[in-house]
Amino acid sequence: MSGERKRHVIPGEVITSGSYRAEQNTIQVGDNIVSTIVGLSDVHDGSVRVIPLTGGYLPKDDDLVIGKISSHSSLSWTADINSCYVGMLPASDVFGRDYSSSSDDMTAKLAKGDLIAARIVNADMTRDPLITISGRELGKIDSGELVKISPNKVPRLIGKRGSMIQMIESSTNSQVTIGQNGLLVVSSEDPNGLLKAIQAIELIEEQAHVANLTDQVNEMLESKSE
Amino acid sequence: MSDGLIIDQLKKNQILDLLKEGKRVDGRQFDEPRKLTIDIGVIPKAEGSARARLGDTEVVAGVKVQPERPFPDTGDKGMLICTAEILPIAHPSAETGPPQPPVVELARVTDRGIRESGMLDMKQLVLEKDKSVIGVFCDNAVTDHDGNLFDACSYASTAAINACKIPKYEMQDEKPVKIEGEFTEPPITTLPVSVTMAKIGGFIVVDPTIEEWGIMDARITITSNSDGNVVALQKGGSDGFTQEELIKCAELSVKVGSKIREIIKQSK
Repeated sequence: MSGERKRHVIPGEVITSGSYRAEQNTIQVGDNIVSTIVGLSDVHDGSVRVIPLTGGYLPKDDDLVIGKISSHSSLSWTADINSCYVGMLPASDVFGRDYSSSSDDMTAKLAKGDLIAARIVNADMTRDPLITISGRELGKIDSGELVKISPNKVPRLIGKRGSMIQMIESSTNSQVTIGQNGLLVVSSEDPNGLLKAIQAIELIEEQAHVANLTDQVNEMLESKSE
Repeated sequence: MSDGLIIDQLKKNQILDLLKEGKRVDGRQFDEPRKLTIDIGVIPKAEGSARARLGDTEVVAGVKVQPERPFPDTGDKGMLICTAEILPIAHPSAETGPPQPPVVELARVTDRGIRESGMLDMKQLVLEKDKSVIGVFCDNAVTDHDGNLFDACSYASTAAINACKIPKYEMQDEKPVKIEGEFTEPPITTLPVSVTMAKIGGFIVVDPTIEEWGIMDARITITSNSDGNVVALQKGGSDGFTQEELIKCAELSVKVGSKIREIIKQSK
């Protein structure tokens, strides 16, 4: 069945039938391949998958995420990473191996409500994912504005090899830190650039399912820069 | 509820910086409440109902009226009970199950505003002294939570009670019997309106959004009646108010309340 186009599917909808492999977000029912989520079907090289349009964030190893510190115990912080799982940030990650819960003050480093750029170290789903803030471009975020989009639309925001996000950054003179969990921090010296960048991100979030999105965003960025 | 809400540090700084410049994050003035709309009669089976939208906060109030045995110490007065609950669809932090302390407070503040203002003339709601009185039950359901539930519940309840119809009852063999198809107007004496103010970094703002609510140091809810008198008050949060601030808040509540009272009046 060559030339099968991507189409919008809902859970329970038969995408195709015949000898195909049921991959991401699909199941095989008898001879039919059925979608399990709302998304775009993609039939390719004898395999069928559905690209999700809705849904939450599930942590994957090595993902860069933005988290909000929600509480801490004597050994670790917990961070809200916009998921059904909470991120665990061990105190030793910040204080080093000789961390002692009696002498080191955890809230002096990270307090409730602080934002962090973190990387998922271990997400095996048997317990809460372990995160780290030691590494390049990781750590506490001190400035910028937090924007939330659907985690499924993050790839669209980044674009092919980062083309979309680079276009936004360069034309609005702003920096965007993208968390795979759908949280972004936008910062810019120029308040207008900041506003425009946020508007562009919101446009992508809204129009993620349509074709020619790059042109639309480009048009929007140029129309207001005059 | 909102008390468990954590506002990120960046947002907090942004709100505080803007307040110092005399601005709020959503562009409102310090003494400006969000847009209020009230729809009446949204629940067909209730004797009275109202949906209040305060910005993105939405509350549905329903009034049931039925005969009750009076409390032993108030046999010469009708009964009024206001409740409130936050539905899980209102906010990710809202859960089913027994009400949390902030929700209990919400119900009590809403109830107190209406009760202490004497909105309903309870003496007129007696069928037979010490035997049977009319009970007015106003239940509030928060369907969307964007801060300041106190005021949204107050407006929804006041509007619902103001617009309700009291079925007629007759005592037959010492029992109240409903007369089908006959209704009377509720004995309204005044329209109580609550105004909640938050103290954030020394500034006082009217009708805080959920973000302002999350970072405020203290809050005060003042209910005033149609004559512009303060009838009920509730203070929350860890910080305090100075005498001057209290007087300012009281004046604000009367000023803002009178505008809101007009909206409630027009909704009927």
